[in-house]
Amino acid sequence: MASSSSDNSTPKGEPWVWFTSLGLIIGLSMVAGLLGLVLINGFSVFWAPQVPTVKLKDGTEIVGQFVQRRVRSNSPASDPRYERQYQIGLRELNNTSYVWVDELNITDEKFTLETLGLERMENGPAFITPKLIVDSSGKQHLADATTFAIIRTEVDQATDIRERVLDINQNKIGVVNSEMEATRIALRRAEDRQEPTVELTDKIKSLDLKFAELKKQAEEISKPTAQAHLEGVDAKGRSVTIPFAQIVRAWEPNRMTTMDRFGLLFSRIGEFLFDAPREANTEGGLMPAIFGTLVMTVFMSLLVTPVGVIAAIYLKEYAKDGAVLRVVRICVNNLAGVPSIVFGVFGLGFFVYVLGGTIDHLFFSDQLKYNNNTPVFGTGGLLWCSLTLALMTLPVVIVATEEALSAVPRGMREASLAAGASKWQTIRDILLPASAPGILTGVILAMARGAGEVAPLMIVGVVKLAPTLPIDGLAPFLHLDRKFMHLGFHIYDLGFQSPDSDAARPMVFATTLLLIILVVCLNLGAITIRNRLRARFKGAAF
Amino acid sequence: MEENQSKSTEQPPESRFQVSRSTLLVDLWMGRIIRLGGISVVIAVFGMLIFLVSQIFPLFSKAKVEPLTPVNFTEASSVAWGEDEYGELPFSCDAKGNISFRKAADGLLVKTWAPDFKAMPSTTDGQTAPATLIPVTAVKTYSRDGLVLLGLADGSVRELKISYKITFAKNGSRELEPSVDLQYAGKLSELSGPVLEAWSVKGTEGRLYLSRQQKDGHDVITGRRLIERKGLGGKAKVTASEPFPIAADVTDLERVLVPSTADSILVIRKTGEVRVYQNNENTFSLLQSFKPFGDAKNPQIAAAGFIFGNVSVVFQGNQNEEVVWSLYPQKQADGQMLRRWGKIHDCETLAGVGQGVFPAAGNKCYLSVAGGRMQIRNMTNGSIRWEESAPSTPIQQVVFSRNYNRLSILCQDGKVYRWAITDHHPEASWNTFFGKIWYEGAEGPAYTWQSSSGSDEFEAKYSLVPLIYGTVKGTFYALLFAIPIALLAAIYVSHFLRPEWKNVIKPLMEIMASLPSVVLGFLAGLWLAPLVDTHLIPILCVIVVLAPSALFAGYIWSKLPQPVRRRVGPGWEFAYLFPFIVLCMYGAWQLGPTIESSFFTVKDLASGQNISDFREWWRQSTGLNYDARNSLVVGFVMGFAVIPIVFTIAEDALSNVPNSLISGSLALGASRWQTVWTVVVPTAVSGILSAIMIGFGRAVGETMIVVMATGNTAVMEANPFNGMRTLSANIAVELPEAAAGETHFRALFLGACCLFALTFIVNTFAETLRQRLRERYKIN
Repeated sequence: MASSSSDNSTPKGEPWVWFTSLGLIIGLSMVAGLLGLVLINGFSVFWAPQVPTVKLKDGTEIVGQFVQRRVRSNSPASDPRYERQYQIGLRELNNTSYVWVDELNITDEKFTLETLGLERMENGPAFITPKLIVDSSGKQHLADATTFAIIRTEVDQATDIRERVLDINQNKIGVVNSEMEATRIALRRAEDRQEPTVELTDKIKSLDLKFAELKKQAEEISKPTAQAHLEGVDAKGRSVTIPFAQIVRAWEPNRMTTMDRFGLLFSRIGEFLFDAPREANTEGGLMPAIFGTLVMTVFMSLLVTPVGVIAAIYLKEYAKDGAVLRVVRICVNNLAGVPSIVFGVFGLGFFVYVLGGTIDHLFFSDQLKYNNNTPVFGTGGLLWCSLTLALMTLPVVIVATEEALSAVPRGMREASLAAGASKWQTIRDILLPASAPGILTGVILAMARGAGEVAPLMIVGVVKLAPTLPIDGLAPFLHLDRKFMHLGFHIYDLGFQSPDSDAARPMVFATTLLLIILVVCLNLGAITIRNRLRARFKGAAF
Repeated sequence: MEENQSKSTEQPPESRFQVSRSTLLVDLWMGRIIRLGGISVVIAVFGMLIFLVSQIFPLFSKAKVEPLTPVNFTEASSVAWGEDEYGELPFSCDAKGNISFRKAADGLLVKTWAPDFKAMPSTTDGQTAPATLIPVTAVKTYSRDGLVLLGLADGSVRELKISYKITFAKNGSRELEPSVDLQYAGKLSELSGPVLEAWSVKGTEGRLYLSRQQKDGHDVITGRRLIERKGLGGKAKVTASEPFPIAADVTDLERVLVPSTADSILVIRKTGEVRVYQNNENTFSLLQSFKPFGDAKNPQIAAAGFIFGNVSVVFQGNQNEEVVWSLYPQKQADGQMLRRWGKIHDCETLAGVGQGVFPAAGNKCYLSVAGGRMQIRNMTNGSIRWEESAPSTPIQQVVFSRNYNRLSILCQDGKVYRWAITDHHPEASWNTFFGKIWYEGAEGPAYTWQSSSGSDEFEAKYSLVPLIYGTVKGTFYALLFAIPIALLAAIYVSHFLRPEWKNVIKPLMEIMASLPSVVLGFLAGLWLAPLVDTHLIPILCVIVVLAPSALFAGYIWSKLPQPVRRRVGPGWEFAYLFPFIVLCMYGAWQLGPTIESSFFTVKDLASGQNISDFREWWRQSTGLNYDARNSLVVGFVMGFAVIPIVFTIAEDALSNVPNSLISGSLALGASRWQTVWTVVVPTAVSGILSAIMIGFGRAVGETMIVVMATGNTAVMEANPFNGMRTLSANIAVELPEAAAGETHFRALFLGACCLFALTFIVNTFAETLRQRLRERYKIN
């Protein structure tokens, strides 16, 4: 009897064990919940759902894409009333793209097959019922179930023309503009020094001509489709005329197949990744921000890797062990815990104002004098952002490299020295190759941290809309002094500084998704490399 | 055989064992380069700290005041002084109203001007008497406005405008050409006696002229206002008001203080009483009277002066007293809040009788002279910027340049002393950043951060205390939420979870640690904050129900018969607990509205109906604010940043406890919980502490989450449903707009230094703790 009761008794404190598992559950749910939230919201931005025609109590109708549902702000907690948000688009007519509708007001919801969705260059999307199509040859088509193909060809043609015009506007005119800028500065200098200015004024004149010619060329290109347009009526029965030149994309939300929907999804993702933003960053793509983040991160890792590795080799292999080294090591470790904003402050105070100011003073004094005191390096820019983040991630690389160097088995090092290799030869041929994966892990972690960091960049040179990319076809190709766009700052700016937060919301979620994918991939890469490294040295104790 | 062999094999040449020169050279140089590189990195790291400190250093330095070469302005009779913007061509006036301009550099006389105000030719008896010059009886200069006001013997005043025409010579040097123009001439009162003193101030409603004359041995003050009205076509029409008497009831008048806003006048009596007259439709009526030194034996006021901004006056007494009175809202007997004068500062005093208070032209500093010493002080924070012995003769007038870089003192013997002031941060002192300061217009001393405003005369307030408070508050809520979860998870993962799961959990936590904080901040601000706003009570219910339900599940499980228990392998508890917890959470969520309606029902002020709304209940029952972006949201989301860090380090510490200790405990019959709780946790406690500290460091410096998830208002309230402003968020928001080198800029650097120091100290402490733990248990 006694024995059976002791068999049956549970060990002391089992409920507490269960209690501790709660911590793990919450932690995991938080990660999963956050990633899930971002994934769902991020991808649903690109998805084209069916678009309902909603009939309201007062007899009016709205056509729009369902966005979200929430509790009305003044409804009692015990008996909540909900409202729905629809994106109705056509901002030029409706004054707003988004409307909230009380659920009690909705009498009927149906999906009209004729509804046509249009993404436009301006004023948000449009949901209309097409009536008449005038194509680029001037022919008129009455809209029916088969005319969507015509719409599509017209949109494709318009897109093609738009791209060609954009190429002229951005690349060719950009070159002329930058040449013009340089010539104007030269002219001002020449005037000031009372040197002959005839050549320069002639050059400005010729550039003006070139500019006008390019403008004309762009107009010529867009002429053939100028009169092609689409006529239709919106939910309130107002007739709407939209030129094809304004239409980015057209789809039939209630008629298309799932395959079509996926096609649209990929086309939108493509635009998101490879196109420039429009409509105050709330539509279009993110290419400049992706590119800016990439260039900055790569440049940062190019700066931080050699410096960090050299410092680690010094600390590990050359410096004398002792109290000083311990203090230095603790300081370096702690630098990793210093808030990133402090690095931003340092970057602004030292890199931008002291270093940049000095560079401007020494090398760009002419530019300063004749260009309204516009600083070149004395203001935030790519170089300073990279340097600041390099300083911030330096301890990550140093610590990782030191750890990797310590992980190299003693035997390998001693064998090399015993074979007569010099210290440097040992480092170069034995230690560095053996610890390369560890160093790489550190660099990748540094890149992940650099790519996700925003606070210091806000201070030292990231902007919400940069007219030019940090790398382009103009000499010297890599423009270290330019301000650039950054994914993280894009999230902050769109989410919190945007005048139309409803319109910005989808874009923020999509950007967030992209940034998270980027950072998680970098981290996973680092973790994989580290695990392989561990496996490799597991038994290598010599 | 052996011998044979050794002979047969030839000795390798000596050089075979020598290292090639190039190898040695490379080794030497690489060693040098690496040493150099390594040392310079270490130096750069320390250089960063030094740079940050060097940026805040000027904030705490005193003014540097150097005497300018004394220039002989020979007229001993000078009674007034004025300067141009650059201080190159000052002018002096003697008692007769003669103005002379001299070069500051060498005293060269450039121009003189003499008054020739003729009385109207009197036409009595048909004869025209020759016009007579009216002597000047009072002279006053307003250096900042370039004005000279002359009072004449016939009771009228003349206002002269001093202007400088700047021309640049070929070689770039600046030439100033002064000119004197009559701007206003008129009588201010009916009295015909000489004007003894005159004032001219440009108020908001038009220029106000005042004069002091004598009538029957009494001082009489009369004022007249010029009102400019913009007519059609932009032509200004100036109308003069009727002369009006001011302070006619005052008998023993000692001194009159006129603020440049012209909306009130302070009259100081010989008895030490100050009477304040306030503008009231072209007359001035008594607003308040007070005695700054009413408690003293000798309540007389020795000197007084308005401080820039015109709402504060510094009074000096006869017995080492100096106080500042200011206009600020005060509760009256009838409960109304009205702006009245009250004492805001008791200043440190120089020994001796007060000899003068002379305000600076663009900030809150003033020159205080007493007992033969003089000091430049900042009125607001009481710091003494500079001290020097005063000139031996009494001071007639003090002129500070507009941008506070020059000080000229005109003594009564006509001597002029000039100084160059270098004081970039007169408003900065230790007290400004960390002390409680009574700012002008405030109801009492307070810690305030308010760095900018639309108004010119606004005084920036740079107390870091509310920011530090906000930082600590945000960190507190973050840790309150994160530490229990992280430590529980660390204990479970290190000692109860099946080891193969560890390789999944730890990378997951690392990914959680690397989530960009801008993403967390965005979700907190745009997703979580609205959710918490509408569903606060259900969410709180869910949080409250978590711990008891887990404990309850464990208790139930331990009471189950053994065969059932065997089904749950050790290390799988979390998988069984998960559905149960989800169920409990769902139940709590559903219960939320019921709880809200039964406990938090209040009367809606707008509609008068009873509503169950926690937000309204909180506002009404505590009187505190409820903000959608509040500390709870910040704490929860910052948990995402803190949990993985604390977890990783604590887990390391816990799993590094030597196995021998654990085995010993288990062998003695302790259960696994008993072992963990009584052996493992106490052993690893320093590691756990260091984990908490490093988590603290991360939370302290977190920027984007706080910027995006709070309202960023610098308030000092413990209220959990209110926002805050942290040091880091403050820097991120304000640094892009701060001008380099200004006090604001350096104050932000000071904030950064505080953050740096705080995290550095905490992290060093944590690191030392961890190393000690490692050495104790000899873990590699």
